[in-house]
Amino acid sequence: MPFTAKSGKFNASINTVTVGTGDKAIKIGGENVLPLYSFDAAIENAPKVGIEITDFGMENEPECVKKYYEGCTTVADMVKKAATFEGVDFISFRMEGGDPNGANKSTEELVAMLKEVAEATDLPLVVCGSKNVEKDSELLVKAAEAVQGKNALILAAKEENYKAVGAAAGLAYNQVVGAESSVDINLAKQLNVLMTQLGVNAGSVVMNVGTAAAGYGYEYVASTMQRIKAAALSQNDAQLQMPIITPVASEVWGTKEATQAEADTPEWGDQEKRGIDMEVETAAADLACGSNAVILKHPVSVATISKLIKELV
Amino acid sequence: MAKFVTIGERLSTTAPAVNKAFLERDPEPILKRAKQQLDAGAVYLDVNIGPAEGYGPDLMKWAVQLLQGEFDNVPLALDTANMAAIEAGISVYNRAKGKPIVNSADAGSRIEYLDLAAANDAICIALCNAEGIAKDNDERMGYCQTLLERGLEHGMEAEDIWFDPLFLVVKGMQDKQMDILECIKMFSDMGLNSTGGLSNNSNGMPKHIRPIMDSALVAMAMMQGLTSAIVNPNDLRLMETIKSCDVFKGNTLYADSYLEI
Repeated sequence: MPFTAKSGKFNASINTVTVGTGDKAIKIGGENVLPLYSFDAAIENAPKVGIEITDFGMENEPECVKKYYEGCTTVADMVKKAATFEGVDFISFRMEGGDPNGANKSTEELVAMLKEVAEATDLPLVVCGSKNVEKDSELLVKAAEAVQGKNALILAAKEENYKAVGAAAGLAYNQVVGAESSVDINLAKQLNVLMTQLGVNAGSVVMNVGTAAAGYGYEYVASTMQRIKAAALSQNDAQLQMPIITPVASEVWGTKEATQAEADTPEWGDQEKRGIDMEVETAAADLACGSNAVILKHPVSVATISKLIKELV
Repeated sequence: MAKFVTIGERLSTTAPAVNKAFLERDPEPILKRAKQQLDAGAVYLDVNIGPAEGYGPDLMKWAVQLLQGEFDNVPLALDTANMAAIEAGISVYNRAKGKPIVNSADAGSRIEYLDLAAANDAICIALCNAEGIAKDNDERMGYCQTLLERGLEHGMEAEDIWFDPLFLVVKGMQDKQMDILECIKMFSDMGLNSTGGLSNNSNGMPKHIRPIMDSALVAMAMMQGLTSAIVNPNDLRLMETIKSCDVFKGNTLYADSYLEI
């Protein structure tokens, strides 16, 4: 009997979400097949790659990243420079200095910087908070207001602050809302339910379902993403059909593989190469498990992952 | 596994208000009941126009277009003894949200309803019964085999034949209840879909008892593998039970608000 290949495409699909405006706007999601299964059906929108810049500018960047931004004196300079790197689809601005347990920068200061970032580029913008839920419920609300008209992705609303952040980003200022849970598939779904009950359009929600660097509890991230995609497609679960974005840089560049100097661990080899390897491996795994977008830091990682996507999709 | 399919039973000529609305082609009471059922979570709506001799085809066309036009091509089960009316209904039916269901064939005088479903690429409810009530599961499974073969011969996919064990009333046939549940397990073991008028079990019971009996039975039947039922979706207890069983069976992913979606 001749072998007839059966397409594994589903009758359900992931929502298509547009981030940004104009020619540079990106679309993520839209596929009706498992991650990267382009042999089952055409993948409507290839996964996208963003580059992360923080409110600390050059200050906290690893040496191996700094050299790519030589000559930049402001965060806006860095944004302009980043936009020229190969494979960059969007800019992710992370306001980590807002954390009250860290630098505790004021909302006004950070939002002013965000405005400079927004003016410096026409690439789509992802706006990340301080990781402190209380601070973010104020910071991200002001941020959503500050970049009105940019159709930015505000990352993210969590269970504790979804009303404030979701209402500001999704209802008042017409941005795309990120819904963040931490490797908890039931909470990921619940947040989407709450967000839609709040009145946010399901087509304007993107999930961050958790992140980890490869080797650091990553298998939980992998299985969470895979189960979400399986339920979204095979069970046509509308509350899980939001595309997934995964911050990679903020996890990877803090691991010992990326931070330990070669002088201390000569047997590990070149430090920069280690950092890039960690970032590329983690991002590739995220894409294989279902991420529709990843946020990276090193320009070589961005170019590598971008090439990987072009080859596969 | 797919989610349990609820077929809303409240658009039936057995309800005098619905009967009157069908006869007078009065949309308002029909749309109102349809909306109540959909808001409560019904997937399909059953459209029972009774025997409808003569005027059946016109009435079914009118009902299909009315309901699908108002409710985004809601999928429907076409329920009448008038075969021409079912065909007429399918001729104007939009499949965007699911195939039409022919309600229903049996292994006796209504076996040709399967042929009709096959010819129109529809789902068919296949009642495992002929004349009288099947005496045991050997007889039911014999009918199941007859119906399955008939459908397959006419080119249907097995998944489009939804087998109905014929739920029986507890008051008077209490001793048959476990047979019905075992029959559902046999369908399930064969990989077949199943459905039925589950609330038959509580016929004649006090009003406040019926939701309790129906909920208990649906939970037991879903455990046995029942994939669908024709029910009153406005029975909150029943719908909550179905949603909860869907979670236990892994048919839907749990979220704290699962009862609200």
